[in-house]
Amino acid sequence: MTSRKLLSEAKLWLVAIPILLWTLIPIYHIFLFSISSKDSAFSGALWPDKPTLRNFGTVFRQENFYLHHFWNQIWNSLWIALAVGAITLAVATCAAFAISRLKVRGGRTVMNAALFTYFIPAAFLAVPMYKAMGAYGLLNSRWSLVLAMVTLASPYAIWVLKQASDKLPWELDEAARIDGATPLQLFRLVYLPLMLPSLVAIGTYAVLLAWNEYLYAFLLLSHENTIPLAVGLGHFLASDDSPWEILMATALIYALPPAAIYYAFRRYMVGGLTSGAVKS
Amino acid sequence: MALVSFSQIEKSFGATKVVHGISLDIADGEFMVLVGPSGCGKSTLLRMLAGLEEIGGGTIAIDGRVVNDVDSKDRNVAMVFQSYALYPHMTVRENMGFSLRLRKESNRVIEERVSQAARILNLEPYLDRYPRELSGGQRQRVAMGRAIVRDPKVFLFDEPLSNLDAKLRVAMRAEIKALHQRLKTTTVYVTHDQVEAMTMADRIAVVNDGRVEQLGTPLELYDRPANLFVAQFIGSPAMNILEGALAKSGDSSCVKALGQRWPVESSGGTDGQPVKYGIRPEHIGFAGRGSGGIAAEVVVVEPMGAQTELVVRVADVSLTVVTHGRANLRPGDGLSLSPEAGHAHVFDPATGRRI
Repeated sequence: MTSRKLLSEAKLWLVAIPILLWTLIPIYHIFLFSISSKDSAFSGALWPDKPTLRNFGTVFRQENFYLHHFWNQIWNSLWIALAVGAITLAVATCAAFAISRLKVRGGRTVMNAALFTYFIPAAFLAVPMYKAMGAYGLLNSRWSLVLAMVTLASPYAIWVLKQASDKLPWELDEAARIDGATPLQLFRLVYLPLMLPSLVAIGTYAVLLAWNEYLYAFLLLSHENTIPLAVGLGHFLASDDSPWEILMATALIYALPPAAIYYAFRRYMVGGLTSGAVKS
Repeated sequence: MALVSFSQIEKSFGATKVVHGISLDIADGEFMVLVGPSGCGKSTLLRMLAGLEEIGGGTIAIDGRVVNDVDSKDRNVAMVFQSYALYPHMTVRENMGFSLRLRKESNRVIEERVSQAARILNLEPYLDRYPRELSGGQRQRVAMGRAIVRDPKVFLFDEPLSNLDAKLRVAMRAEIKALHQRLKTTTVYVTHDQVEAMTMADRIAVVNDGRVEQLGTPLELYDRPANLFVAQFIGSPAMNILEGALAKSGDSSCVKALGQRWPVESSGGTDGQPVKYGIRPEHIGFAGRGSGGIAAEVVVVEPMGAQTELVVRVADVSLTVVTHGRANLRPGDGLSLSPEAGHAHVFDPATGRRI
């Protein structure tokens, strides 16, 4: 290896190591808490004296005051995340197809409007969203959070999918048209299969956005039985003497599905997210 | 098989008019090549026929039926694209059968037609492969197969060979021509390559700047180009063009150019009229020394085996000369040229038209 190469490699490591530590230390911290007993949780040791999996059993058997609805809440999280993923995908795919491939009139305006929504921070929209959901009588229904999250996820999803659509060769549409395809057949038989990588990426994005959402969930849902686990976790902090080891065990469980999804679709994620990143 | 008729076709993109009232009739079973430089409007013409581009003005009829407002899929035309446009997620079999599947043909019919087309195009071993697993030439054949299985009224080819290497292009040229002779389907073929046009066409329409410059069989265009554009576009190496003046005396006429007399067959025009004189490289022969030929100096010798191309200089102007067989010449050698009067062309320099 030449010295120049060595130097550039060293620089890379110099950046990579702090980032890695920055990311991994909190995760390790969670892990450490989750395998510690209540007494040793705050000992400050790098590894507990007697590691235990009892905390996980407590969580799964809903044996803690804060966890009486654990299974119910994780089901809510899953239900909401999948619904948001599915609806966002449906909305964004149709929009991207119509704008990019069918060249519908006003497509540009829709794209600009979608971009414009990001000028307003989501937190600002929380109160109007709350009022709107109240007006529709959806408060405390899982649908209120699903609709709110679809609203927040769609603009980005439309934007990315539109950019990805633009990259499909135009001749394919023309060939399909000459072959006798109607727009719907073109959509189903040519467009969707070719967009699959981007669809997986955007679907994953929407699912994770909803899975990780706290603010809106906290605001729109208030009943123990309707809140997702993210809000349920927040309730731990309501008392002065929180069972941190149980909280962390629950948090670790909650963090596993996103990690699994990322791992499974990592190939699509990188390709899909960057494919819409630059206008080419 | 069908008649195709363009009548007063116009097309503009924004403020730019790209097709200026083209009228063109293509006979049943004819192989018509539209040839011209890029941006001349030939592809636009083809795409209007395919229904991929709105017709700006005039009418297009297939078998007497005006198709201006008919959807692509109902025109019964099949198109082969320059980029092949194969569906990447389908196998060769699925690609070729796609149009039949959309027409809800039975599986038996699809299978039959696809395997028949595959047999014609030697694609049988590749039916279960994906386009990405094929070479350029094979992809091109799949694209043609996709067109064949539909048994369309008209085949449309949009520069289908441009993405292939030179050797494959020659082979595919012959394949497409053989295919046409076998199927006898009316074909409209767009290319910018005049060699493709010459070798494949029944008739050629030379398109330039949104107009048809000349329509005729390949040899008609070659032997009697109607204007300077066609003269220079058709033929390789290109025709030599010299500026000069017509000199007529009695029955004989010639063109005075570069201080020499270039013989032409008696033609129209008046004595002293400024003209452009055109002579193809293979129509310049050699005269013996001192026999009154045009003195020239060899600049470059390009031996091709069967023929030899020479670049020669006459009074500081370079001309191309092609001679059959080998030429025992070297750069710097002097020689005497003898252009064939019967094959000389004279054009009006202002209008470019043949005189």
